[in-house]
Amino acid sequence: MCLMGPSVVGAQTGEFMLRGFADIGRTTFSAERSFQAVLGSERGAVFGGGVEAVLPQRIFVHLRASRFRATGERVFLFDGERFRLGIPTTVTVTPLELAGGYRFDYRWRIVPYAAAGVGWHRYTETSRFAETVENVSERFQGYEILAGGEVRVTRWVSAAVEAQWTTVPDALGTAPDSVSREFQESDLGGATVRVKVVIGR
Amino acid sequence: MARSRTIAVLPLAGVAAALWLASTAAQQAPAPSLQGLLSETAPPGIDRGLRELDAPRAPRADSADAEPFLRGSVIVKFRPGSSAGARRELLAQVDGAAEQPPSYADFDIVSIDARADPVAVAERLDREPDVEYAQARYRVYPRLVPNDPLYSRQWNYPAIDMERAWDINAGATPAITVAVIDSGVAFRAAIMRYEAGAFRLGRGGAIFPALGAIQVPFAAAPDLVGPDRFVSPRDFIWENTLPFDLDGHGTHVAGTIGQLTNNGVGAAGMAFNVRIMPVKVIASTWDQIFRSPQQGTDDVVARGIRYAVDNGAKVLNLSIGRLGPPAPVLQDAIAYAVSHGAFVAVAAGNDFESGNRIERLAEFAPQIDGMVAVGAIGRDRGRAFYSNTGAYVELAAPGGNSRVGGTTGGVLQQTLDGDLVDTYLRGPARFQAPRFDAFTYDFLQGTSMAAPHVAGFAALLMQQGITSPAAIEAAMKRFATDLGPPGRDDEYGHGLINPRASLRGLGLAR
Repeated sequence: MCLMGPSVVGAQTGEFMLRGFADIGRTTFSAERSFQAVLGSERGAVFGGGVEAVLPQRIFVHLRASRFRATGERVFLFDGERFRLGIPTTVTVTPLELAGGYRFDYRWRIVPYAAAGVGWHRYTETSRFAETVENVSERFQGYEILAGGEVRVTRWVSAAVEAQWTTVPDALGTAPDSVSREFQESDLGGATVRVKVVIGR
Repeated sequence: MARSRTIAVLPLAGVAAALWLASTAAQQAPAPSLQGLLSETAPPGIDRGLRELDAPRAPRADSADAEPFLRGSVIVKFRPGSSAGARRELLAQVDGAAEQPPSYADFDIVSIDARADPVAVAERLDREPDVEYAQARYRVYPRLVPNDPLYSRQWNYPAIDMERAWDINAGATPAITVAVIDSGVAFRAAIMRYEAGAFRLGRGGAIFPALGAIQVPFAAAPDLVGPDRFVSPRDFIWENTLPFDLDGHGTHVAGTIGQLTNNGVGAAGMAFNVRIMPVKVIASTWDQIFRSPQQGTDDVVARGIRYAVDNGAKVLNLSIGRLGPPAPVLQDAIAYAVSHGAFVAVAAGNDFESGNRIERLAEFAPQIDGMVAVGAIGRDRGRAFYSNTGAYVELAAPGGNSRVGGTTGGVLQQTLDGDLVDTYLRGPARFQAPRFDAFTYDFLQGTSMAAPHVAGFAALLMQQGITSPAAIEAAMKRFATDLGPPGRDDEYGHGLINPRASLRGLGLAR
């Protein structure tokens, strides 16, 4: 049933759609204090992209890769005070996420959707003066839920705004010489709000 | 070039403490001290090379045959608000009178009858409500021992991973001043005039003849001096601004802190770019022969500590110590230093094999965050045979151990040539005026040698960004390499210092 929808919205037409997308977002990490201490902020920009298949039954599956990267410096924490040590440290988080969801009936031009999925998050941390074994490059599994709304801009282009919550348990806080251990923060996940551009019908 | 074994095995501090000026021994009034600067310039220092075959000296400890305190005066700190009248009345009860207030001190030196027991007088005053503390003027001694050379011989730096630490922080910068509170430092050239009276080494020892007025040459240690290297020199033994080292201990200690490095000469130091503030608070044997007006007593050391902090030192090294009763005046002074943003490294003491008596300068380290008492390890990373143990030992650093490292088992630095300094060890017949312008590279051992590793380390941490003394101590402890039984123990404290790990600090995940 179509009440006030746009003239052409693929998912509502019952067609199969294969689309690509790119997005830009801002993530607030759950390990707020750890990111704040080393990177100066618990928030940062995330860039991503992927492919999405929408089935006629309004079910969709997407595969998405993204990257967060920021450079801060190593620190020492004592008595609630942070001492910055001037040793550059770069943290990169690269999630590869597979999610499946449902696109709800549209209202006006907006198609709401929700999904849940699983992700594989590569975490790398490199710092100046580090020996190879002192740098970090590990992959952790996480889980996510997301929701958003999409609007068709042209026949081939749509835009969406999306919010996602991710948990990546037991990824941080294991090494003794880590801020995350100090703060007992172990989750690499966080909340992300992003804007998405979708290409395809 | 081997030195006389006899020279090398005599503990110098013991000699100094056992020095009896002939006139004093004869119960005569001591002659006034005489020191005069004859020339601002002198020939450059003479480098007399490496001494690697010398037998190691025993670590310095308190002398057994000298009184551990001065007679005729005590240290008193009155409580704020006590009236001048009340103070006078109180002092009258012990036949005492306050002397001219000393500089850089928040306490008084009170003259008492020379025949009175200063410990008893101090105890009596200490019980008075108007008195915060009172104590006798205990002598303080350097903590060390010698031997021999060059970076490849400096096992102490690889032992604490210094090469990788220097990659992170190449010796700090001149923005950091480290005070060497010690027997002085060979910091400049000069020709000085002294009056050397007759004296006796130890009770019943031979009398050494008076040398009369002599001219003594000094030079800056070639591997230590550089442009603007030394700041605010101060001598509390002679009460002037010429803290010449008449011993060699302070110069060696200063070398471990800041020996010039990567200069193609001699040996390396921990924080080789820092400025060094020579503060002399220890009277060497020669200072006593020359009848210095002060000796290395608690009050003199306390004044030196306060002076250093008030004149900009951010790190203080105290490779000195004493046994005996507690030293509240020193605890007070060190608390003052830390409260003014200075980190303090103190030798834990060399008394283990003589009863492991409590090192009084080190014992309050656990109560002061920002002060660290340092024990010594040898090349084998085991506790050195002399290094005190106890609840106050907080960290360990290389101090040398000749029993596992032989003649090269000590810590190598440039210092005064002992052959030309300790001429009194030749006996009265061959005794001659000393000279302090010739240098050798000697291996010394003692917690005196361990403490400057920690002082230099503190300077690096401060330069790196850890500016609070308490945080520096915490960083040192947190990243220390655990030795001995797991966790903190009385031999190594929290373990062997690990400068690289501390300088790297914490990452987000590792």
